[in-house]
Amino acid sequence: MSGTQLYICCGSGGVGKTTTSAALALQLALGGQRVAVLTIDPARRLADSLAVGPLGNEPQTVPLTRLNPVPGGRLDAMMLDMKATFDDVVRRFAPDAESRDRILQNRYYRFVSTRLAGSHEYMAMERIFALYEGGEYDAVVLDTPPTRHALEFLKAPERMANLMDEGVMHWLSLPRDSFGFRALERGSEAVVSVLKRLIGGETIEEIAEFFHVFQGMWSGFRERSVQVRALLRGPNTRFLLVTTPAPAARAEAREFVQLLRRDGLPFGGFLVNRVVPTPTTSQALDLSGLPPRPPELPQRAWDEICAGVGQAMVRQARLASAEAPALAELRREAGDAALWTMPEQDADVHSLDALATISALLAPAVAELSRR
Amino acid sequence: MSLLDKRIVLVTGKGGVGKTTVTAALGVAAAASGRRALIAEVGGARRVHALFGAPESTYKVAPLTKNLYSLSITADEAIEDYILQQIRVRALFQLVFRNRVMGPFLDAVPGLHDLVQLGKVFDLSRQTRRGSPEWDLLIIDAPATGHGLTMLASPLSMMELTGRGPFYENARLVHDVFMDPARTGLALVSLPEEMPVNETLDLYARLGPYQRQVQLVALNELHPEPFGPLELWEQARGALSGAPGVDEALRLTDRAVARARRQRDARTRLTGLGDAPLRELPFLFRRELREADLLPLGRRLLGEPA
Repeated sequence: MSGTQLYICCGSGGVGKTTTSAALALQLALGGQRVAVLTIDPARRLADSLAVGPLGNEPQTVPLTRLNPVPGGRLDAMMLDMKATFDDVVRRFAPDAESRDRILQNRYYRFVSTRLAGSHEYMAMERIFALYEGGEYDAVVLDTPPTRHALEFLKAPERMANLMDEGVMHWLSLPRDSFGFRALERGSEAVVSVLKRLIGGETIEEIAEFFHVFQGMWSGFRERSVQVRALLRGPNTRFLLVTTPAPAARAEAREFVQLLRRDGLPFGGFLVNRVVPTPTTSQALDLSGLPPRPPELPQRAWDEICAGVGQAMVRQARLASAEAPALAELRREAGDAALWTMPEQDADVHSLDALATISALLAPAVAELSRR
Repeated sequence: MSLLDKRIVLVTGKGGVGKTTVTAALGVAAAASGRRALIAEVGGARRVHALFGAPESTYKVAPLTKNLYSLSITADEAIEDYILQQIRVRALFQLVFRNRVMGPFLDAVPGLHDLVQLGKVFDLSRQTRRGSPEWDLLIIDAPATGHGLTMLASPLSMMELTGRGPFYENARLVHDVFMDPARTGLALVSLPEEMPVNETLDLYARLGPYQRQVQLVALNELHPEPFGPLELWEQARGALSGAPGVDEALRLTDRAVARARRQRDARTRLTGLGDAPLRELPFLFRRELREADLLPLGRRLLGEPA
């Protein structure tokens, strides 16, 4: 059994999940661990912030030696290549070369492996399982696909597993030499005729062929999904919810925790991004105390700038108080669970140094997660 | 030609940029102009109704306010709807749907979920009432970038998958409407930060043949600039630093200036995507939007005085 820890970062789109995942991975690496971070995000933002080239299934080692001081750990980054991962799965589980080739060349398979809803999530699970099994890393951080809803990631593998369910397989597998679909269940001929009318006979046959060949791989597939399920519920896994103090975050947080609890998945805590720091005062600055205008600055510009500086605290206090109620609600929702806040950043993160600055803010979270 | 003169407007952008706000604001502006407008949320999203204090949206069209209606489409309901239209025999439908393998199977047809949801919007756009269209404008609050594009391309995917047959024909009908710049417009929503702008430009590039349908680029959550002459800040800061009690104000102003520069940068980069005008929406301190906030936002999106 591998000792690899898994951190699964969930969250809806636009909350800074990719950056947070990278920062978390970096912080773990700075602590001396061997860490892998896997992203599914097609926008390649992770590569930007990790100062590596275009990412793929193969691990790219982040040049941590550029940091000062040079940490003892290692950080590898990779991006899920869905097609390649799916092809690997087929190669691994195909009973023989002929079945393998028939699947890889099936037109429907090409759609399944690139466009089927849930494929991304399923293959992400597949990848982290392989990384876990490999035992090469102390920790693996997964940046989940951007969804409107944090929960969708958790439901997708279930959907995929349902599709691969034995009943479906049997039912759709079509003996090539027979008179169409097997009448395994009462009424299935009528069902097939509806399907043919709806979708078209040829397409149905292609899909059926896919399932027919896939049937030979089923047991390997199912065994794998049982293992993945066990891993996700095991002591080495932590689910994290990355969120922001937006009003919608509260409902999401509640649903997320409920779903994890229902499914027996281990919850690590909330990471709340983009929290506006409250200034020490909300009063305007007394401008009479400011130094005189340097002669090279025009009077009007100087006055305008001084007025802007004078209002800095007022502006900041207003921003902070605007989001305070949402943050308080989120804390209430969290209850006993851990909740870490991250201050709003000055700029988008796309350099390793900037990422290191953010990752330092995650030190308390990492310390607590490692303790548990 | 105003964006409101299209039959369908699809609002898309990265997650969290304010697509729902833009959708609702356009809806309110359309309704205020006397059009009957319908907002369609897809993928089971139900967020628009709350802005209007209306009951939660369902698959059944319900009013939000005068001239403005909404529905929330889930793929399951749209599939059921579609199949019933096609086979017209409820008993047969029951047989198909009560079958335990059917659900997973339909899940496995690539792009079907997206396509049936677009198909529902297509159907709604063809509904008539006393001989004229029931809806002047349908506004779709599309899924986040990437998926939004997948949804738009779903008729084409289905056409590729099937090659011919009844599904191909139906997909083609939907495709023809959503690909027609005269009938369908796209609104891209972004935030004034570097990465969201990168993603918007990336989305625009990936739109390929649909680029000409982009009729609006909305830049959301712009903060007021702390002062106009941003370029003089470093000079002025040098003169101000060291004065008693100004440290925190200077640091906060650094942030505000940096933000203002990023905003200007975003504006420059998003100007001139095809013929689409760039419209800006202010950051609203009250995070919980209300109906009254929406009309001014809608007017801004249309380039009218708020």
